[in-house]
Amino acid sequence: MIRETAKYLFQFILLILAQVLIFNNIDFSGFINPYIYTLFILLLPFYLPNLVLLMSAFTLGLTIDLFMGTPGVHSSATLLMAFARPFVMSLYSPREGYQTGTYPRMAQFGTEWFVKYAVTLILLHHFTLFYLEVFTFHHFFSTFLRALLSSLLTSVLIIFSQFFIFRR
Amino acid sequence: MRNLLRFIAQHHFLILFLIIESFSLFLFFSANPYQRVHFYIASHKISGRISTRIENIKDYLSLYKENQKLSEENSRLYNQAGSALSVMASDTGYIQDSLTHMKFRFLTARVINNTVNKQFNYLTLDRGGNTGIGPEMAVISGDGIVGIVKSVSPNYAAVLSVLNRDFMISAKIKKNGYFGPLSWNGNSTERATLVDIPHHVQVSTGDTIITSGYGGVFPEGFIIGTIDRFRLKGGNYYEITVKLSTDFRKLNNVQVIHNYAKTEIDSIENSVNQ
Repeated sequence: MIRETAKYLFQFILLILAQVLIFNNIDFSGFINPYIYTLFILLLPFYLPNLVLLMSAFTLGLTIDLFMGTPGVHSSATLLMAFARPFVMSLYSPREGYQTGTYPRMAQFGTEWFVKYAVTLILLHHFTLFYLEVFTFHHFFSTFLRALLSSLLTSVLIIFSQFFIFRR
Repeated sequence: MRNLLRFIAQHHFLILFLIIESFSLFLFFSANPYQRVHFYIASHKISGRISTRIENIKDYLSLYKENQKLSEENSRLYNQAGSALSVMASDTGYIQDSLTHMKFRFLTARVINNTVNKQFNYLTLDRGGNTGIGPEMAVISGDGIVGIVKSVSPNYAAVLSVLNRDFMISAKIKKNGYFGPLSWNGNSTERATLVDIPHHVQVSTGDTIITSGYGGVFPEGFIIGTIDRFRLKGGNYYEITVKLSTDFRKLNNVQVIHNYAKTEIDSIENSVNQ
C-alpha cells in the first residue's frame, strides 16, 4: 500500500516536472500546447475512493496552475476529467468488467481500449480548459481548432508514453 | 432527514465534485487583473529559480542572434541619439536639453520568464526595484513594444505583456497622426487590434503604427507594427488588425523606460478629472 502510494507520488512529481520544464516550453506558434500531466489521472488505479480521486485531481490541477500562473483554470478542467473518469470507464468496460488487481494500462487492456479511454478524457479536459481560459465564444473556431490539435498532440504523446514508460 | 442522508450517500460523488469544482471556479472567476498579477508573482516565487536556470541555457543557445540584434540596435541608436532628451519650450523656441531635464531613462533588463500561449500573458524581468524599475513603466525590445511593468519586487519585475487581454495603450498611425486604443484580442501572438479610427481617414495595409505617447507610459514614436488588414465596423470606425513587429517568442534583452514626467502628467490630469 505504501509502495503503491509512493509510486503514484513519484509519477505525480515526474509528470509535473515534465509538463513545466519541457512541454510548457514547446509551442507551435502559440497554438498547440500539449498537457501531458493529465496522464496522471488516466493511470490512477480503478477502485479509488471518490474523495481521493477528486482531491488528487484538484491538487494536480492547482499545482499546474501555480506554475503557470492561471488561477483555477487547470484545476477546474482536471477535476471535471477526474469526475468523468468512472463514467468513461464503465462506457468502455470489457464484458467481464475490470478485475481487481488490474490497472488501466495499455499492456493489460489492449491498445484499442486505452486509446478510446485516453482520447475521450483528454478531449474533455482540453476543451474545458481552452474554453474556460478564453471564456468567450467570440473566436469559437480558432479556440476549437486549438483545443482539437492540442488534444491530438497530447493523446499521441500519452499513447507513446505507454510503450516506453509507465508500462506497468 | 433519513431521506436526505440517503440522498447524500447515493450522490456523494457528484456532491463532492460540485463542492470542489465550485471552489476551483471561484478561484478562476474571482481573479481580477490585479489579483492575476499577484498570483503570477506568487507562482513565480516557486518556479522562479527553475526558470532562471532554463533561461540561462536558452540565452547561451541564442547568443549569436542576440548579439547581432544588439549591434543592429546600437547602430540605430547612434543614428538617432538625442531623441531621448526632452524638448523644452523656451521663450524663443524649442531646445533639446541634455543636462538638466532628461525626460526618459532607459534601463536594460533580461526576460527570464515569458508566456505567449495563454489569454493573460506576463513576463518576468531579472531586474526590479533595486535598479530603479517601478510599476507603470514601459518595456520595449529592439523590435517594438513589449508591455508595461505591473509590479516589482527588489530583484524581479512582472510585466503585463502586449499579449494580455488586460493590455491597452494609445496608438496612432504614423503618416497622419490619427490615434485610438490598441489591445490584444487573445487570438494570435502576432496581431493586435486598433479601433476608433474614423472612416474618412486614409489607411492602407503596410502603414506603420506607433505609440502616441498619450497616457505617459510609452514615449511617443515607438514602433508597434504595421497594418495587416482593416475593415469598417458599424460604418463609422475602422477596426484595424496590426501585425506586431515584436516577436514575443524570441524576447531576451529588453529596455525599461522610466518617464520622469509621468507623475507630473498624472497629477495634472487627475486635478482636471476631480
